[in-house]
Amino acid sequence: MSDTMVDQTHKPEETAVPNNLQQHHKQDEEQSVRENADCEDEELHKLLVPDITLLPLTPPSSVESNFASYFAPDFMKSGNDQYVYRHANGLCVVGLASTHSAFKDNGGVSAVDFNVGKSDRSGMKVTGKRKKNAQHFESNTALCKVCTNNDSYIVRCCVKGSLLEVNERLIKQPELLKSSADREGYIAIIIPKPADWLKAKASLLSLEDFKKLRALC
Amino acid sequence: MSNEVESVQVSDVTEVNQLSSSTAVESHAGSCDDEMPLQLLNEAVRSMPNHVVKALLSIGVCSRCVLRIFGTEDRIYCHPLLSQSMLRSILEEVAGFKSEGNFQICSICLGILQFCYCDDKETMVKMESPNDMALIIAQLVKKEGHQIDGFSLEVSVPQLILENESSLLSGMKMRYESEPWFQERLLSKCVSVKDVLKFAITKPLETLLDVKSSTAGCFRIRLTYTHKRASDNSVERNQGFKRRKIGKENGLHNVNDEPVITNKVCSDYSTDETICVTGRSSNLLQDQEPSEQLTVPIDKVSEPCQLVYLCYRTHIYLCGRYLKFSRNVSQTRWIIDEERMGEASVEEIIGSNILPMCQGDNYKFHAAGREDIDVRMLGSGRPFLLEIQNARQVPSEETVNEIESKINGLENKLVGVKNLKVVGSQGWTLMREGEAEKQKQYCALVWISRPLEDEDVQSISLVNDMKILQKTPIRVLHRRSPLEREKIIHWMKIERIAGSSQYFLLHLCTQAGTYIKEFVHGDLGRTQPSIGSILGCRAEILRLDVTDVKMDSF
Repeated sequence: MSDTMVDQTHKPEETAVPNNLQQHHKQDEEQSVRENADCEDEELHKLLVPDITLLPLTPPSSVESNFASYFAPDFMKSGNDQYVYRHANGLCVVGLASTHSAFKDNGGVSAVDFNVGKSDRSGMKVTGKRKKNAQHFESNTALCKVCTNNDSYIVRCCVKGSLLEVNERLIKQPELLKSSADREGYIAIIIPKPADWLKAKASLLSLEDFKKLRALC
Repeated sequence: MSNEVESVQVSDVTEVNQLSSSTAVESHAGSCDDEMPLQLLNEAVRSMPNHVVKALLSIGVCSRCVLRIFGTEDRIYCHPLLSQSMLRSILEEVAGFKSEGNFQICSICLGILQFCYCDDKETMVKMESPNDMALIIAQLVKKEGHQIDGFSLEVSVPQLILENESSLLSGMKMRYESEPWFQERLLSKCVSVKDVLKFAITKPLETLLDVKSSTAGCFRIRLTYTHKRASDNSVERNQGFKRRKIGKENGLHNVNDEPVITNKVCSDYSTDETICVTGRSSNLLQDQEPSEQLTVPIDKVSEPCQLVYLCYRTHIYLCGRYLKFSRNVSQTRWIIDEERMGEASVEEIIGSNILPMCQGDNYKFHAAGREDIDVRMLGSGRPFLLEIQNARQVPSEETVNEIESKINGLENKLVGVKNLKVVGSQGWTLMREGEAEKQKQYCALVWISRPLEDEDVQSISLVNDMKILQKTPIRVLHRRSPLEREKIIHWMKIERIAGSSQYFLLHLCTQAGTYIKEFVHGDLGRTQPSIGSILGCRAEILRLDVTDVKMDSF
């Protein structure tokens, strides 16, 4: 793929008839302007089209590309496997790992309730660049309750920090949790202080280690 | 007073400054031009009330100040042929006043109109004529290498001068209000120190620099006068009347030789010889009855002002459109923890190539929007404005074209430039105007989790001004407010890629401020709808290019 922008000017053809020379020139000029524009478009297009042979069959997902994945197996309770995706800017997305007990139930997730602990987590409003009104939570603070047909599970923060937002869509669409727990089914976004993150990280597993632990492929 | 006066004669001035005799007789034979100023001066001086002139001179007002207070026509006292000493002697002769002989700094203008000041080396400089000052300025301009076609002169003087002047005028009003000449000559006619100085210097400067002066000049010559005492005392003045006494009592004598008891004010900066004319503050003035004496509450100073010459060109602007061919070049300099992000920046590539051609001090880069470091800027390019500070020369059209070719011809081909040209300050308005339209066109390389169908291509092409809701993307959530922003996708078009069923090119045109990457992959469902939700599958974006920034004015 060439990266050069080449402006090709087509020279107007010399005609043998002097009377029509000017007119021809003008037409040629207009034509060359059009051709110029076409040329530029062509050049641009060349830059845009990728070389298919260099592309992977399945590219990394946006989560894989932008976040570092960590896992907390059996967090405070056996079977409570949660993930923490940490972005380079320090924000942490918290959710249920695919090995969570809630997914072992038949029938899937019936409800997600954010009204746990002392307040309804879905009710808080964080505003501004400084993230005013964000509640400070400990790693074991409850975020929400996930209900299946047979059981209910408490989801925890796993990381000490300020709660920026919860995934309200889960209230109306709890099935999102089962269908894509690692994307649209995320639970909440938390921002820890740098020191708190280092502490939390120490007790989390990398993707590799987690896979080994759970004997995943 | 024991002032050390160093007369600095700048001897390169050829045309003037030969008249330094202290008599009122013209020393040039012959030409009308030489006689005129002297004649006019004599007439002007004789038209002023003598006793007033005498009173003013005795309280230490310099000759030019005396003349400007009376609003003498044509400002004849600024004429380069009329030296300080000449003016003085004429005034003294007419008014019947004998000065003490030593040079004294004017109590009103603090030496400014006596062309006396302290330079940056703290040396006192005294010039005979405004031409000398003009010469210094001209030399400064040449030394800096400025190429100019005009200039505008600015003068800044200490507040103290205005206060002194106002005190003087009040005092004069009180004393002479009743006299017949007062209504006609005073108050309205007084010319300010700044105006006088500017008037005196402008003509010789125009000659030396061979250009005209104007108020709207792009090249500024600024004379800043400051006075230590002025800045020190201005706080005290504002706080009101203060009385302080020191050891010695110096009775002061006014015009009619009657002692006036004063309240002495001493500042740390004054020498022992400082003579206070009277006590301070206008309160004192109000308490006095209109009397025989002319009492004016001003302090004499022993040092002249400090003068700083500054000349600079106001910002010049170059505008154009830039292209970014690399996915590893940021728009502006981006440094985190002393490490640069990306291998270069558009700002630095463009700025560093233009600044030396203008011989400027500094540049500032402004662009109409921005793109991520890994997003290329192709097609028509993004409008930008480069602000050059204190350019020594404005590049010609030819030079500008050369710069454009040079940048486009750089070996690493990271950045390109189009339509580069010099603009006036209207460049700003052009940028702002264009932003109002705000439509951007992109091309994204998209992958979906299932093969592309014809229906998909169809449904995407049917999109027309579709509204989407974007929660603040997680990747910028740390520095932006958590909000939900409504944006518009104007149109979209899928271009299939030969040899692939799951990759395709997505061309789209959106409202400015739309996060394209998040629109494709959905940002964990926080952008609704997204390409993924429209096509009912997972969508990922691999590459993004900006193909058009619509702005007509650029």
